[in-house]
Amino acid sequence: MTTSTTGRNTGKQVILYAILILVLLWTLVPIVWMVLASFKPGVAQLSSTPVFVFKPTMQHYVALFTGGNLGAYFLNSVLAAGFSTVIAVALGCLAGYGLARSHFRGKQHVAFWIISTRMAPIAAIVLPLFILFRYVNLLDTIPGLIVAYLTFNLPFAIWIMNAFFMDLPPSLEEAAMVDGATRFQAFYRVALPLVTPGIVTTAILCLVFSWNDYAFAATFAGPDSQTLPIAAAQLNTQTGLNWGQLSAIGTIVVLPMMIVGLAVRRYLVKGLTLGAVTGE
Amino acid sequence: MAATQGRSSSATKGANGGGGFSLEMKMLIPVLALLAVLSLFPFFYIIWMSLNIVSLINGISFDFAGLANWTRMFTDEIVGAAWARAALYFVATVGLEMILGIAIALLVHELVWGQNLVLSLILLPMFMAPVIVGLLGRFLTDSSYGLYAFVLRELGIFESDILGTASSALPAVILMDVWEWTPLIVLIVLAGLASVNQYVIEAAKVDGAGYLERLRYIVAPSIAGVVIVALLVRSMDAIRYFDIITVTTNGGPGNTTKIIPIRLYETAFRFFDLGYAAAIGLGMLVFSILVANVFVRILESRGLAR
Repeated sequence: MTTSTTGRNTGKQVILYAILILVLLWTLVPIVWMVLASFKPGVAQLSSTPVFVFKPTMQHYVALFTGGNLGAYFLNSVLAAGFSTVIAVALGCLAGYGLARSHFRGKQHVAFWIISTRMAPIAAIVLPLFILFRYVNLLDTIPGLIVAYLTFNLPFAIWIMNAFFMDLPPSLEEAAMVDGATRFQAFYRVALPLVTPGIVTTAILCLVFSWNDYAFAATFAGPDSQTLPIAAAQLNTQTGLNWGQLSAIGTIVVLPMMIVGLAVRRYLVKGLTLGAVTGE
Repeated sequence: MAATQGRSSSATKGANGGGGFSLEMKMLIPVLALLAVLSLFPFFYIIWMSLNIVSLINGISFDFAGLANWTRMFTDEIVGAAWARAALYFVATVGLEMILGIAIALLVHELVWGQNLVLSLILLPMFMAPVIVGLLGRFLTDSSYGLYAFVLRELGIFESDILGTASSALPAVILMDVWEWTPLIVLIVLAGLASVNQYVIEAAKVDGAGYLERLRYIVAPSIAGVVIVALLVRSMDAIRYFDIITVTTNGGPGNTTKIIPIRLYETAFRFFDLGYAAAIGLGMLVFSILVANVFVRILESRGLAR
């Protein structure tokens, strides 16, 4: 925090808060409006002037879970995002450590290959995967979605875990080995626990990326593997713009990710800049 | 900070006694092999697709066509227009996000009270699924029930259907992207501002430097690297995602929001011209590889990638 501000500039602070309140309005009004709409009765929904006072109802949530099969979509989302996250983080720890602690010729090319895999445009990846998935019968399956999500989560996890392990002085592992630990024990018992914040951050970001995916699921998923974002988009076209249910599904998709995302805010910068910037 | 580390791990390497691969390589190689299956295989496959006429009618058939898809792409006016529109969309979204993101970060950095709370609230949109942002954008701009459409109508600024009108659809989808991703820039730039040397700032104050002078001569040079990282990270993601447009306008009205990934998607999955779509996809891939290349070079110059 700045040491410059010692209260003498109260006038300036007032202007500052005034501008930031505008910024917060711009940021928060859509989110608040969506959450409010999800509790609004249908009549209030269809008013041409905005309704601010209404009797809250759970009807949209109830309708989604009873008639809309939302439970199944929710489970699909959890399975696809969850498994791809666990696999990516576990393998990312191994390879990230290997990358951080080894030196070989052409290492920068390997690093570049990993990062460019993460950055490849989704539209370009979806295309060959679609044909390949048809050959191996992975279309409209949860394992297919897990594989699809690994195409971006695995390179991401390797890269970020590499960045976290690089910040760890190897001397700690060396000391453990002097004390009789094997090379693997030095990794597993010493290095790994020390990067716990890194593991949690990586896991949460992988979860957010795959949970929020639309393009892969829209192409690969079918009736048996539909995820929440697809269900939301389809709601929009099938039932003729049911904004109440849409707001409810939007709230269900969005709130968990906001909570877990903010939980790792300290480490977000490092994760989202792929290790290039370290926060706080 | 990482500059002094990493190198000394050659010491640990000596300890694994030689013979075969070191543990590091044993941990690295199998995972990279899996990544190769996930990335190189599709990569070579899409190159092969781009050299064929690919049809999905009765199974999948490949019909070797040489460079036909490629020559077609370079003379295709619709694809050219989609690239131009993508460039406009890219410059507008990323440009606005950078300007607003830096400005908001500078403001938040000066806050005495509630900095953490304000930042947390500002960050919320970037955790949202882009598809929900698009649907929410549709909801807010809906000409009958939309809150923002209502406000604009009451203020007499805009009366027609926002996403259905050619002149307003592109600005609307740009603003949705700006709404979602400006927080990312705020977050990254704030991290840069937190690392500016406070003693230098104080010294400059003592010497009578005003806020703008400090910004120009001390803050700007110190955060330049972080700002470039923010720009590159955002640029790479900006060419990855097209969800918002897909669920709002899907390229319309009258192609005004049809950026290149949307065109690729309809070429592949509406016209089923998969070979041609592959050529377009490779064009996009080349672009993202160029950006990734600059990113890695900057990481190297900051001593973070080895």
